[in-house]
Amino acid sequence: MSTLVQVPLRYRIPWKKIALYVLAIAFGLYLVLPFYWIVAMSFMHEADAIAVPPNWVPVNPTLENYLGFVNPNAAQELVGGRAVSETPYSLRNSLIVASATAVLNLALATFAAYSFSRLKFRGSQVLLVLYLLTRMVPGIAIIIPFYLLMRQFGLLDTYLALILSYTTFALPITIWILKDFFRSVPRELEEAARVDRCGWFRTMWSVFLPVAAPGLVAAAVFAFMTAWNEFMFALFLTSTKAAKTIPVVAANFATDFNTQFTVMAAAGVLAVVPPLVLALLFQRKLVQGMAAGSVKG
Amino acid sequence: MSVLTERRPLGDSAKAWALNAPAITVIALLVAYPIGYSFYVSLQRNNLKRPRAKRFIGFDNYKSLLSDDAFLSALKVSAVFVLVVLGLTVILALILALVLNERFRGRGLLLSLALLPWAMPGVVNGLMWRTIFDAKTGALNGLMMQLGLIDTYQAWLTSATGAFLFTALAQVWNTLPFSVIILLAGLSTIPSELYDAATVDRAGAFRRFTQVTVPWLLHPLLIVLILETMNAFRAFDTIYVLTGGGPGDATTTIALLDVQTVLTFTDFGLGSAYAWVITAITLIISVGYIGLLYRKGNFEV
Repeated sequence: MSTLVQVPLRYRIPWKKIALYVLAIAFGLYLVLPFYWIVAMSFMHEADAIAVPPNWVPVNPTLENYLGFVNPNAAQELVGGRAVSETPYSLRNSLIVASATAVLNLALATFAAYSFSRLKFRGSQVLLVLYLLTRMVPGIAIIIPFYLLMRQFGLLDTYLALILSYTTFALPITIWILKDFFRSVPRELEEAARVDRCGWFRTMWSVFLPVAAPGLVAAAVFAFMTAWNEFMFALFLTSTKAAKTIPVVAANFATDFNTQFTVMAAAGVLAVVPPLVLALLFQRKLVQGMAAGSVKG
Repeated sequence: MSVLTERRPLGDSAKAWALNAPAITVIALLVAYPIGYSFYVSLQRNNLKRPRAKRFIGFDNYKSLLSDDAFLSALKVSAVFVLVVLGLTVILALILALVLNERFRGRGLLLSLALLPWAMPGVVNGLMWRTIFDAKTGALNGLMMQLGLIDTYQAWLTSATGAFLFTALAQVWNTLPFSVIILLAGLSTIPSELYDAATVDRAGAFRRFTQVTVPWLLHPLLIVLILETMNAFRAFDTIYVLTGGGPGDATTTIALLDVQTVLTFTDFGLGSAYAWVITAITLIISVGYIGLLYRKGNFEV
């Protein structure tokens, strides 16, 4: 009863709150509905997926589109060239290439980032700008010489060609992210280790890096996602299931006239799941890294 | 004498350069060298299908660009594409960032959803919108019909203007989160005292926005403008899958034209010249970006 007494005489409609929720819901739908549509389609039979008016939910849900990647039926085998049977290989290739890129990047970037976070040295600013400039170089500018070089060394259609090119994409970003994370590691830790007469490598390995681990993980995730999502280089450098990555195979579905939307949707969903899971798991660190370095240029 | 011969720990400078050596080596070999090499190729007549005709032709490839209709058209498509994508992205990102900067139920969920397009590979983005925009079975047609907005299914991607606009929309969806995150980071640094002071001065919501929020956001907004310009200018994956550059050359951006020139026509000389034009334009934009960061003092080491 006492609360009723405190109701102000003139009731104000909370316009601001209403507007906020309307906008939030509208944006939420805008962000999620397109993705929902391919997820829903990936569980439909082709006939249901192309029905008019559309079935907004799978009426007879099926796993046949996903199972087809392992054991394609006659109709599925024809979709997108050999895309259906190539999908499992391409997922494996993507996983290997992206993981290797992440590891190679960390190995190279950790040293460089450490120098920016701990040492005062001449030319450090120039070097940092140079790394950033490298990041700005459009892939298309190096793809032709890259292709010719890889061809000369017989590396076309191999993992190595992809790993090397993705490392150059991701390295500057990784250095920039790590330098910011490293700066937040307290110096006292290393000084304490030095007092205990630990050498530099020992200090790095058993004191500094474990403390900086969250930053290292975030940087690795960035590199993994960069490599996983990349398309143009993979299109140039790969040609068979030995090295084709999932974006290349997914594109084959889309550019084929006889495509099945349901199978294409299933391939799309499979291609999104790894980066999406990583993004959600490491949301906070990734957002922090993105904002700090404005890095995904 | 003894000072010089005494064994001292390495100076900071030497140590720092040693630590950077591996990264510098990789970048020199895999970026600097290819870029130089690409310039050399751009001065050649170099078509993989006609290896005998390969020879040095100076700046002929560049000179031919001036009368190259495909190139000029692609440049125009790219420019308009950048403008449309940039305009839509900045407006939507600003609104979404302002929403996310408030406190409300479900804010965390909305932030997670905002990361969804960011995690999506460009190719998947392209094929996703293809199923949505499809003329015979697409979700957009179905939705608009059920809402009573259209009478019959429309072929959204068959007219030049339509294909261009819908491609831009698909691109915006994909690049939106990145801008939102940067703007949100900028918004969260605005001290709340500024709003309190403005409220005390009886400034309305609109004046608080124009006099506190906008000036404070100017820097992150500029970063967004520059990085998104660069993104849109290089846009390739989504367009390749969604329209393949068509109908005609309505959505053939400069990046797409370059890839076609090299992959389909194996003209590496001309392709390299295209690539160098793209690089030059990108370089001008990046210099602006770096100058901006520099002025903010992001580069102190």
